[in-house]
Amino acid sequence: MLTEENIDAKRWDGIYKLLDRSSLIHPDFQPIEEIKDFVKEAKILVIGAGGLGCEILKNLALSGFRDIHVIDMDTIDISNLNRQFLFRRADVGKSKAETAATFVNRRVQGVNVTPHFCKIQDKDEDFYSEFALIICGLDSIEARRWINATLVGMADPESPDTMKPLIDGGTEGFKGQARVILPRMTSCYECSMDMLSKPTGFPLCTIANTPRLPEHCIEWASVLEWPKVHGDRKADTDDPKDIQWLYETALARAKEFNIQGVTYSLTQGVVKNIIPAIASTNAIIAASCCNEALKIATTSAKYLDNYMMYTGNDSVYTYTFQHQRKDDCPVCGQSALKLEFRGDKTLEDFIEYLKEKPDAQLKKPSVAIGGKPLYMPAPKQLEEALRPNLEKTLKELLSSGDEITITDTTLPFSLQIVLTLV
Amino acid sequence: MDAKTQKYDRQLRLWGGNGQEALESAHILLVNASPVGCEVLKNLILPGIGQFTIVDAGTVALHDVGSNFFFDLESVGKSRAEKACEFLSELNEDAKGHWIKNDISTLLKEKPDFLDQFTIVMVSEVTQELATKIAKICWDHGKTTQAKKQISFVWVRTVGLIGAARIVTPEHTIVETHPDSVADLRIDSPFPELDAYWRTFDFDTQDNLEFGHIPYVAILLKFMDQWKKEHNGQTPSTYAEKNQLKALIRSGMRSADDENFEEALSSVLRSCQATVVPSSIKDLFSDPEVENLTAESIDFWVLVKALKEFVADTSKSAGLLPLSGTIPDMKAQTDSYVKLQSIYKAKAKQDAQVVAEITGRVLEKIGRPKNSIAFVDIEAFCKFSAFLKVVRHRSLESEYVEPKTEQIALHLADPDSVFVQYVLLRASDAFYGDHGRYPGENESWEEDVEHLQGNVATLLESWGVDKEAVSPERVHEICRYGMGAIHNIASLMGGVVSQEIIKVITRQYVPMNNTVLFDGAASVTGVFEL
Ligand SMILES: [Zn+2]
Repeated sequence: MLTEENIDAKRWDGIYKLLDRSSLIHPDFQPIEEIKDFVKEAKILVIGAGGLGCEILKNLALSGFRDIHVIDMDTIDISNLNRQFLFRRADVGKSKAETAATFVNRRVQGVNVTPHFCKIQDKDEDFYSEFALIICGLDSIEARRWINATLVGMADPESPDTMKPLIDGGTEGFKGQARVILPRMTSCYECSMDMLSKPTGFPLCTIANTPRLPEHCIEWASVLEWPKVHGDRKADTDDPKDIQWLYETALARAKEFNIQGVTYSLTQGVVKNIIPAIASTNAIIAASCCNEALKIATTSAKYLDNYMMYTGNDSVYTYTFQHQRKDDCPVCGQSALKLEFRGDKTLEDFIEYLKEKPDAQLKKPSVAIGGKPLYMPAPKQLEEALRPNLEKTLKELLSSGDEITITDTTLPFSLQIVLTLV
Repeated sequence: MDAKTQKYDRQLRLWGGNGQEALESAHILLVNASPVGCEVLKNLILPGIGQFTIVDAGTVALHDVGSNFFFDLESVGKSRAEKACEFLSELNEDAKGHWIKNDISTLLKEKPDFLDQFTIVMVSEVTQELATKIAKICWDHGKTTQAKKQISFVWVRTVGLIGAARIVTPEHTIVETHPDSVADLRIDSPFPELDAYWRTFDFDTQDNLEFGHIPYVAILLKFMDQWKKEHNGQTPSTYAEKNQLKALIRSGMRSADDENFEEALSSVLRSCQATVVPSSIKDLFSDPEVENLTAESIDFWVLVKALKEFVADTSKSAGLLPLSGTIPDMKAQTDSYVKLQSIYKAKAKQDAQVVAEITGRVLEKIGRPKNSIAFVDIEAFCKFSAFLKVVRHRSLESEYVEPKTEQIALHLADPDSVFVQYVLLRASDAFYGDHGRYPGENESWEEDVEHLQGNVATLLESWGVDKEAVSPERVHEICRYGMGAIHNIASLMGGVVSQEIIKVITRQYVPMNNTVLFDGAASVTGVFEL
């Protein structure tokens, strides 16, 4: 008869060799039994049960972690099945977190994955403080910013237990990145916002007046025509009927302007902002994240400090580097962000500039000075009252060196900017 | 949209219908249901590879369960081939799985042509000797039959935190390399229709709205024309000259806010270079495959030959490649943009037609029907003609018999290079030759360090490289790993290798040449041509 320890020793042979044996490359590592116990007992949180999340859950379970939680508000869609391998056709419509947890619990005996079928924002700091480590496999910038700001906010350098390592992965097509964030010690997600490309989206005047690309026609159908025809009902981008309407409307406009290339697939891609995704890239990035998690949890080898980029379009290329913290990071930085802007420009110009600034990624920003609002996109009455300010120049509204506050629904914190008028 | 298109939507946006078709026609063999091998299969079955076959004589052990997601505790004692095939098949009903509970060497003795049915032959958990033998069968198959029927060979392995993969495809030709942009604007050498186009804009009399919407291509053409007149027909070539051209463009602005002028200025360095045939394409023109074209040659080489003749016929091509016909978006009125687009498209079509005529003649000359390559394929070939790529991997045999010692010495001169892991894996193979087991497998693992150090020294000496190039700490570390399989590393290598296999099968994007190494302790990869 094999005892449980015996089974464990054989089952985790590869990992236990690493944990039982000292290293000359990593001389600080002490191979003690407590490390194996820590792996079995540590509570690990996985955010997202999608393409990366499925891989991460599998990898953590096969790293010997047993107390794993997963949080995801999404349900399974048919287009997930080409990579989210814990789901089958019969699971379409079910909770991703619950389905993934059930599958991994069944396959990897001894592991206990606990699902949370809700938004990350539904959980409070008490919930997040229970975990030893958090791994993020999200496709949303907004959700990433939120969890990053929350974890950095919780971190108190005086008490090490409050510093939750955050390992973040992301993919697009054949490319991806994995990074390790140690709140208040390394650069955070917000510190690297300027690495994102400019928000896609086309100027309204192009869509309305001078369409050139099939995408312009699709945006016209969804942004301008849809509300005209359907009033307050928003288009449901998961409903083929709504996509079909948008497609036909865009196609008609394209014909009128002699523009080629509007297809159903492109329409869907533009209105849902679809990012190509494949199993292999998710596997690479998720495995890299979990490799770092195991190294951090066991100290058996140096962990990533702090960023690895992967590109597979042309050969295999990775770039591993230390991303630098930003002093004026609105989340983990020490000083307010400083900006220069022309004083003879209007408040509207300034707001447009903020929207296009890749490291801000704002949708409908509100601007205030000393607690007094200069502009707010909602509620309606307030918006109407403040609208005349949009036409005014910054010189008229404030003085150089004033500190202004930007808030936005996409922003989990307020942005303080010291604005110098030039 | 049918159910299959819906299921594969996120990948069809990368490799399209033709890539998907290639994937669905492919059959991959996995020798040994190792953790990394099964991870590769997972990532190929999900996007819909046609068929896969697993050959493995072994039964599932406990350490397999801890490192491979396609076994569970109940699988212990059962056939590895059968169990892995069962769990992997659940991933996608479109992929057909087969399993054979047998040893590959025995199988090859019984059926010498067993490998002929596969697109890809992937081996793992095999000795260097067996890998070399199987690689040679695949290589010889490619040399003796048409290049269309090549078998690509892949050897993938993980040892502790280390991963390595070697690919052997004798010749891999790619049209759809997916460059960032295929725009080819010909600002320096406009064809007549393009030259006539910019002259339709009157820069002096247009009102501000029209002026602000002159496409930047027309702006560049106008000022390039002026520059050439002032410089004896020469185009700006140095950085300083391009800055002078920028200054000239800036002088034509009416206000500092003219976005179209801003677009023109920011594209001067990129768009105003002399249009030439890239040297990588000229190299293809003198490839032996082009010189010795036969009826057996693949379409790619027929088309390269036609392309070469097109470029040589300067009356039709001006000595340039066929136009891609693609332009970027730019600030412009709809009409002027659509007009500009149609000018480029029409010229591209015209060029493709000329190439098609030449192709017909080339085909006839080698004894093939003159329409046996479809016009759409010729058009695609022309569109991407500046980015064609041929990857030729060395055989595994030549890696061992004729090592590239100069490059190896260079790799090893860099103390941070991941290449040291290659040396350690090769030394481990030599260790296996001596002892019939791998270093560090036993409890008394540290006793293996000295012997392995000897294997490393012998190997380095055989390359004429400094014996100290691999530190004793690193030798100690791979003994620490003791051939153990760690799932994260298997999964990562499974992702890397499946990505490469997809590129090989779809003939899209560019596969690596020819060995990738991953060091999970340092979180770095490296690609080496061995
Ligand atoms: Zn920060």
